[in-house]
Parts: sequence; structure tokens; C-alpha cells
Amino acid sequence: MPHQDTPIYKAMFEAVRETFENMAFVEVAEQSEEIGIEIPTDGDWVSILIHNPLQGELQLALPKNLLTTMTADMFSIDIADVEEIQRQDIISEILNTLAGLFMTKLLPDDQSYQLGLPVYGEGPIPENEEESLVWNLQIEGSPLLLVANGVGFISESN
Amino acid sequence: MKRIVIADDSATARMFIKRCLDIIGLGDAEIVEAEHGKEALTAAKAAPTDLLLSDLNMPVMDGETLLKWVKSSPKLMDMPVVIITSAGNPAKEQELLKLGALKVINKPVSPPMLMDALAMFLDD
Repeated sequence: MPHQDTPIYKAMFEAVRETFENMAFVEVAEQSEEIGIEIPTDGDWVSILIHNPLQGELQLALPKNLLTTMTADMFSIDIADVEEIQRQDIISEILNTLAGLFMTKLLPDDQSYQLGLPVYGEGPIPENEEESLVWNLQIEGSPLLLVANGVGFISESN
Repeated sequence: MKRIVIADDSATARMFIKRCLDIIGLGDAEIVEAEHGKEALTAAKAAPTDLLLSDLNMPVMDGETLLKWVKSSPKLMDMPVVIITSAGNPAKEQELLKLGALKVINKPVSPPMLMDALAMFLDD
């Protein structure tokens, strides 16, 4: 089954779409392979660990200019006034929220789960030695990269 | 004037909650922001507090521990606590309600969700 047709792919796409639409008022779309927009190497990323019921990690990366524009819009301030700490906080809260939505969609109702705290970084998204699932999405022509690392996620995709 | 403590380690989340409170008619409340449960507990003890809105997943003291502290404190036990979390599901919600939470709301929070959760509180 192609990755895009699996329940885990659809759960993540819906979680990302709902989170960005509700928090940042922007539309998320799938990125066709032909477009292939890449995250600039000076982008921002954030990572969050899933502790239970499976062990895994979710990583989200965005280009700096997109995150800066979204931050300005969300805090209702000028782009020039956006501070580093606001960008960090927004991308962290977005991943925290979408991780929760994703796990809620993925797991049965009676299954609780535990998330770690978001960790922020700059530059290329850190590579993971484990197998990964990748979502290449876009927001108004800018790329959005989502990666799920961990054996539990891989088994969900099969 | 009502006094409301908001506990969340994210400034973005606190900003969203404040906007929602404003939209549902609680814009004139005294809002006290806390970055974790311990800070929220100190803030709630500092002056009579009408409502505590707390995230679950926070450093230093998480929302569940904060809820247990509040509900075991003779001074704070009657204060309504609403949990706003990204780590909620029906199983977790039942657990938190048993511990004494008034409501459990999933992020991203919206004005209608908050209005529904605070219906009893808003009627006062």
C-alpha cells in the first residue's frame, strides 16, 4: 500500500491541517513529488518524543521566512518585531498540538499516551538512524516537513 | 472582577487562551500567567482565584500534579480547574475528571470550546 493511502499518513495529514488552520489560519496541502520544494538549510525545526504507548519521535521543519510571517500574524505584530523566542515558542506549540491530535486520531479512544516536551533547533533537521516516515507538505508554496521516527510508527504504516 | 490563572509553558498557548477569554466576555478579568504548575500554585495561593486554566504537559510541575495539589489543599480545593491539553483523549479525560478537574479541553483551544467548558462559571 503506498504510504499516502495508510491510516497513519491520513491521521498525520489531518492533524497537521487542523492545527495550522486553527492556530495560524493557513491552509496546508500535500506537496506533489514533481514540485519537490525543499526546506532551506537555515530553517527552524522542533522535535518531540512520544513515550507511551509506543516509543517514537516527531520532527517538524519550516523555512525561517514562513515561520516569521506566521509568528507576526499570530502575535499581531510587524515582521521586523518578531523575536527569536516567539518563533521558537510558536513552532514548539504547533508541534505539541499536532502531536496530540495525531496520537488521538491514531490510537483507540481508551488508549492514553504520553508526550515529551518540544526541543527546538536551527539548520537542517537532525537525521535519525531509525527508519522514518516522511510527510512533504506545503503552506502557500512554502515547504513543511514532518518526520516520524521509531519502530512503532513504521509498523503502523504497514 | 474575576481572577484567572493560566498555566502553560508556551507563551503562544497563553496568548491564545487570553484571546479566547476576551472573546467570550472575560476580557476584563485579572489574568495571571504562569509557566508551570508550581508557579501557578503560588499565584493561586497569593490571592483569591476564581478559575485555573492549566496545560497538562509542563516542566517543573505538570498539570496533573498541579490538579492534585489544588484538590488536596483546603484553601484551593473549591477553585474550578480546567485542563487544556494536547495530550488528552477519553481515557485521560476520565482520569482527570476523577481527580477533580471541571473540564478537559483539547488543543487547539477555540472560543466556543472555552465557552462550553466555562458555561457554569460564566453564569455566576
